Amino acid sequence: MSEALTNLIQVKDVTKKYRLGSNEIEVLHGINLEVRDGEFVSIMGQSGSGKTTLMNIIGMLDRPTNGSIIVKDIDITKKSQKELVEFRRKTVGFVFQQFHLIPSLTAYENVALPLVFAGDKNDDAVAAALERVGLAHRMYHKPVELSGGEQQRVAIARAVVMKPQILLADEPTGALDASTGSMIISLLKSLAGEMTVIMITHNKELAECSDRIVFLKDGNVAE
Amino acid sequence: MRLHTLVLKDISRRRTKLGLAVLSVVVAAAAIVAVITTFSAATQGLYEESNKFGANIIVKPEVKTIPLVAGSTPIGSLSTGENYIEESEISKIYTIKNNANLAVVAPRLYGIAKLGNSSVVVMGVDPDKEKKLKSWWNIQGHWMAAGTSEPNKTEVIVGSDIAGPLGIKEGSQITLNQGNVSINALVTGVIERTGGNEDGYIILPLAASQYLLSKEGKVSSLEVRALCNNCPVEEMSKQIEEVFPGLEARPMSQIVKNEMAVVEHTQSSAMAVSIITLLVSMLTVASTMLASVNEKLKEIGIMRAVGASNTQIVFMLFFEGAIIGLAGGVIGFAVGTIASAFAAPLMVSVTPQPMWEILPLAAGICALTGMVASLIPAKRALGVDPAEVLRSV
Repeated sequence: MSEALTNLIQVKDVTKKYRLGSNEIEVLHGINLEVRDGEFVSIMGQSGSGKTTLMNIIGMLDRPTNGSIIVKDIDITKKSQKELVEFRRKTVGFVFQQFHLIPSLTAYENVALPLVFAGDKNDDAVAAALERVGLAHRMYHKPVELSGGEQQRVAIARAVVMKPQILLADEPTGALDASTGSMIISLLKSLAGEMTVIMITHNKELAECSDRIVFLKDGNVAE
Repeated sequence: MRLHTLVLKDISRRRTKLGLAVLSVVVAAAAIVAVITTFSAATQGLYEESNKFGANIIVKPEVKTIPLVAGSTPIGSLSTGENYIEESEISKIYTIKNNANLAVVAPRLYGIAKLGNSSVVVMGVDPDKEKKLKSWWNIQGHWMAAGTSEPNKTEVIVGSDIAGPLGIKEGSQITLNQGNVSINALVTGVIERTGGNEDGYIILPLAASQYLLSKEGKVSSLEVRALCNNCPVEEMSKQIEEVFPGLEARPMSQIVKNEMAVVEHTQSSAMAVSIITLLVSMLTVASTMLASVNEKLKEIGIMRAVGASNTQIVFMLFFEGAIIGLAGGVIGFAVGTIASAFAAPLMVSVTPQPMWEILPLAAGICALTGMVASLIPAKRALGVDPAEVLRSV
C-alpha cells in the first residue's frame, strides 16, 4: 500500500505497434515500470530500443497500443484528447535533444508559451524559471543568439515554468559538448526532488548521476 | 504575451511569403471596390442628370392605331387623332394641381424641309426655354435669337451630323424650303455631338418653324421640366392628360429606368468577375497558408507538446487568415478607390468619390475570406502528430 502511494508513475504492460507500409512493427513489448515521486530515472538503450516511444507515451504525446499509464493513481490512457491537453499543460514538461525552441520568439517568450496556452499571464513565473536556469540576463535574446547550452537551458525553463510533477528529457545533452552536457545534467539533478525526472541518454556516465538506470533492449525492460 | 501576439510575431517573421497571399486579396478587394465605386457613381450620375433636367414629361398628341381587317384577314392599320397641339392651349397646363412644380414647359414643332437637295429634320423651339432644358449642350458659336420681325429670316443652330457632311459652320447662310415657303437662315452655332436626336436636326425659333412648315399656332409636343427632386411625376402626367384630353403625357423616368437597367446589367457582370477573383484569391490564401503550415509542422508539434489545444491551434490559423484578409481588404479598398478614380471618368464619364461606408464591409468580407481559406490548413494542422514531427527533426 505504501509502495502505491509513493509511486507517481506506473507503466503497465504497455505495448506500441506502428504500421510501416503493409508491415506492423511492435516497438514496445509489454513494458512495466514504476517511477517514484521525485525520483531521477535514466532510461538507456540502443537506438531503436523504444526509449523515445516510451517517453512520448508517458507524456501522452503518443498513446500506447495496449496497456496503461497510471499517474497519481489515474489511468491517463483512458482520458479524452481535451483532458490530455490539460494533463500535458499541468503535469508534464518536455525537454528535447534539439531544444525545439520557436525561432521567432525570445527566450522569455519561449518560456512563457505553456502559460500562454494555459491562459495564465504569470510574468513572475517566467522570470523565476529563467533565473532558475541562470539565463535571466538573456531573456530578450532569440534562440539564434544563444549557444546550444543556453538554448537547452531555455528549453528546461520552458519545461518547468508550469511547475509540472514530471519532467521528461529526451537526450537533453545529445547536441551539446561534454562540459555543457554535465552542466545540464547538474541542472536536471537539482530539479529532481521538486519533480520526477525521467531522462533518456546514451551516455552511461551521465546516466549514473541519476537515482536509477532503466535499460531498454528490443522493446523490453532489462534492468 | 497572448495567443494573438504569437500570431502577429509569426506573420512579421514570414511577411514576405504571406505578402503574396495579401496581394491576391488586394487584387480581389480592389476589383470589387472599383466596381462598386464606379457603378455607384454612374448610377448616382444618372439620377443627378435626370434630376438636373427635372422629372421630365413629354406631352404629345395621342395617336390611336386601329387595325384594318377584311373578313378575318388583317390588311393594315389606321392611325387616328390630332398630330398637333394648339399653341394657344399650352397655358392650360398651368391649371394642374401640381402647377407649382412646373419649371419649364417647352413647345416643339417637328417637320421636314429641304436644304439644297437634302431633306432635313427641322425642330422649332422656344430658344429661351430650350436653353434651360439643354444646358449641357456645347455649341460652337452661340444660341440663335428668339426671332426676327421678318418671318422669312431667322437664325438657326445645327446638329453635328448635318453640319459636318454639308460643310455648315458658324456664320454660314443657308436656305430652307418647304413647299412654296422659303426662309433664309444664319447659322449661329453648331451643336457638338451629343449622341441624341439633335445631332441630326436644324433647330430654329418656333415662329420661324411654324412659318416654314405652314403650321402657324401649332406645336408637335411639349417637354415639361418639373422643379423638384422626387416629384410625383406619374401623378403630374395624369393631371396633364386630364387637362389635355387627347394628349399623352409620358414620364421620362421610364427612359432613366432603361438606362439604369443597362448600368445595373454591366455592374452585375463586373461584380461576377470580381467575385470569381475573390474566390481565386481565397485559393491563393489557402495555398499559401497550407504551405506555411507544412513549414511550421515542428512548431505546431512543439506548441501541442507544451499544452496548445486543438481550439487554440485553429484560432491561431483563423486569426492569421483574418489578418491576411483584413490587410488585403484595407489595401484593396485604397487601390480600388484610386483605380476607380482613374477608370470611371473614362468608362462611365463620372468622377467617383471614395465610398468610406463600404470600407468596413470590404475589410470584413476579406477577413472572412481569409478565415474560410484557413479551413484546410487548420485541418492539416490538427492532423499533426507531435510525437511524429518532433521525432523526425
